Amino acid sequence: MTPQDLSTKNPSTWCPGCFNFQILAAVKNAVAKEIAEGKPGKTKDDFAIVTGIGCHAKMFDYVNLSGINTLHGRVLPTCLGMKVGNPNLNVIGFSGDGDAYAEGMEHLIHAARYNSDFKYVIHNNQVFALTVGEPTPVTEIGFADKTTPLGVKLQPLNPIKLMLAAGAGFVARVFADIKQIEYVMQEAFKHKGFAFIEIIQPCIIFHPDAGFKEKTYSLEQAGHNKSDFDAAWKKADEFDYNIAKNIPCGIFYQKEKSTFEDLWPQLQQLKKKGIGWKDVKR
Amino acid sequence: MRLNIVIGGKAGQGPNVLANILGDMIVKNGHYVFSSRDYGSVIRGGHNFNALTILDEPVHSNDSKIDILVALDDKTEEIHKNSLNKNAVILKGSDRNMYYAGRLVKLLGMDFKFLEDELKKLKKFDENLKDAKRGYSDEKQNKIKLHNKKSSNSFSTGTQGVAEGALKSGLDVYYAYPMTPATPLMFELAPKQLENNIMVLELENEIAVIKAAIGSAITGAKSMCGTSGGGFDLMAEALSEAGIIESPLVIYLAQRPGPSTGVPTYTGQGDLDAARHSGHGEFPRLVVAPGDPIESAELTSQCFYFSQKFKMPCIILSDKHLAESFYTMQGKPKLAKSEKTAMLKRYNSYEHDEKGEMVETSDDINKAVEARLKKAERIREEAEKFEMFKIHGKKDSRNIIVSWGSTKGAILDAIKGKDAKFMQILYIEPFSEKIKAELEKAENVIVVENNATAPLAGLIKDKTCVFVEDKNKILRYDGRPFFYDELKEEIERRIR
Repeated sequence: MTPQDLSTKNPSTWCPGCFNFQILAAVKNAVAKEIAEGKPGKTKDDFAIVTGIGCHAKMFDYVNLSGINTLHGRVLPTCLGMKVGNPNLNVIGFSGDGDAYAEGMEHLIHAARYNSDFKYVIHNNQVFALTVGEPTPVTEIGFADKTTPLGVKLQPLNPIKLMLAAGAGFVARVFADIKQIEYVMQEAFKHKGFAFIEIIQPCIIFHPDAGFKEKTYSLEQAGHNKSDFDAAWKKADEFDYNIAKNIPCGIFYQKEKSTFEDLWPQLQQLKKKGIGWKDVKR
Repeated sequence: MRLNIVIGGKAGQGPNVLANILGDMIVKNGHYVFSSRDYGSVIRGGHNFNALTILDEPVHSNDSKIDILVALDDKTEEIHKNSLNKNAVILKGSDRNMYYAGRLVKLLGMDFKFLEDELKKLKKFDENLKDAKRGYSDEKQNKIKLHNKKSSNSFSTGTQGVAEGALKSGLDVYYAYPMTPATPLMFELAPKQLENNIMVLELENEIAVIKAAIGSAITGAKSMCGTSGGGFDLMAEALSEAGIIESPLVIYLAQRPGPSTGVPTYTGQGDLDAARHSGHGEFPRLVVAPGDPIESAELTSQCFYFSQKFKMPCIILSDKHLAESFYTMQGKPKLAKSEKTAMLKRYNSYEHDEKGEMVETSDDINKAVEARLKKAERIREEAEKFEMFKIHGKKDSRNIIVSWGSTKGAILDAIKGKDAKFMQILYIEPFSEKIKAELEKAENVIVVENNATAPLAGLIKDKTCVFVEDKNKILRYDGRPFFYDELKEEIERRIR
């Protein structure tokens, strides 16, 4: 299994130079590595992806895995339903910032609470890109476009703090850089439970000012203790999603607890048998 | 003679429990009972009542008049005094509900041991038994002698019918968010989830509910979700998704009067068009409307059959009156068998080819749209193999009453002995092509609906070009079901 084995024949329609190419490459690398290890329950058929609507959703077109390119904002309940349908699946959900923080906000808070064992990747370019550049709930104050010519007036949402407050057991933010993403995805795969991975990226067309690599620093190198909730909260406060210089990146917080699938005897049984409901005879 | 008992009181005084055990007992004694429930959106206080109609032959509706009134509070007598028949018996006082169970058992000439058996199923047995014994000895009249013969008839609700149909069709996962009158289905399924090895989950809202149901369905699980009108509105976008990705999905839609919050704990049939048209774009769906608990089980099994065979969304259209009323049913439902047909593959809400890859060219879009049109045609052909409508009553009558869903009971009772037949439409979508000929045979078409704008009459006009005159539309839209005696008069006035 190589990353190329996860490619499709669909022609790429992202803008040349888009940072989504970095995310795509990193995701394929990380998944290919998981499959190449040859562990039981980690074949290609055991992986599934879910995408929302927006530029990020083209991930579905370019990653040759089963799953669903679903509705705007509804990635998380879809992932949950798939895990309930077959708790043995390795499900990865992808959303944009509009998908995760606007249309689907209510699901995000509950996903952190449910702690179903799937991974959630947010392509955060702090703008609605595929609908040509409108502000999202994480766009900085002052950003102006045709819908908001007077400029964004409201303080952007801080998703890292939101996820910490909502009880997420794995909270990470990385820059759209292959190595950073691959590393954090591997860590997320090892983590038992819901993993929140935000990838900050500029949109080179509609939001070139948003988070560049040079403006970030590594939490790990700064000696951050990811098991310390209070430290994570302080680090989360360092970047308020307005244009900034020192953006902490890496795993803010990690703590394993019972997953959604651990809590229902019906799902435990399916896990033990390595099957989904499809194979339950009645 | 139809015997009508109304038991009323404040929420919390237990008129419902009393009605249910009384009904159960009488059915076990070989009689037929129809029992409906009227309650407000309050947990304690207010005025709730149950109406039981008892007969020696099948009965499916209540009367507007009362023969025995059990008043657990003063308000009950005040509210119902104008509905009392001449010589009606009123049982009232300040005693607890089971005291009146004892009095009723004596009054109806039943053996006390039946009541004792029923009380064993409840909490606080000793206290209840003491109350019931005191009531039995206090009651001096023995007005009616209900006979005592063994019966295998069941006493169940439409909700229980849907639950039975779903479980026997191999339901794996059920998702819902609380909403009256769909919640009773969760009450049926959730307590026995381990015994039946199914999942019953309540999620954050109806959007999550239907999306999770679709998520489970595309892994191959037999998946179902339930709601009422407002929640169904929230599900519309995902319903449309189920249409394009071709996911099996069964949706239980229990109506209550709208628009919007409407009258949450009352009944109505205002969502026929919502069930038929909700969700953007054009895609095939099934909408069925059972009229009693056995049909609820049968049509639920048919929804699983169609949803799996054609990988499509199927909607069971019920309402509060069917969902929460108890019916005396003979026999067992005949259920359709279904396989698990879906599997995890590439699903796409974007227009796509057979492999699930997105497409945008004119040719590819035409192909995808026409595939859905052909599928709709195959679904319609398959549906004709099932009973898409029933004809009750005098088969050669020139008067035909057409209706759907929970109005069945009152119509069946009202046309007994009349020169009329009743066409009950079970399949709303697709609509049987045989209906046109049946309607054209009749000279006088009457429509009965529990709504204000007669959407069934509109559907009939669309599908058959048969026009129902306004004066032949018998409509009730006050949140209450049709009463037998009132409906009988309405029908008599229109029969030619």
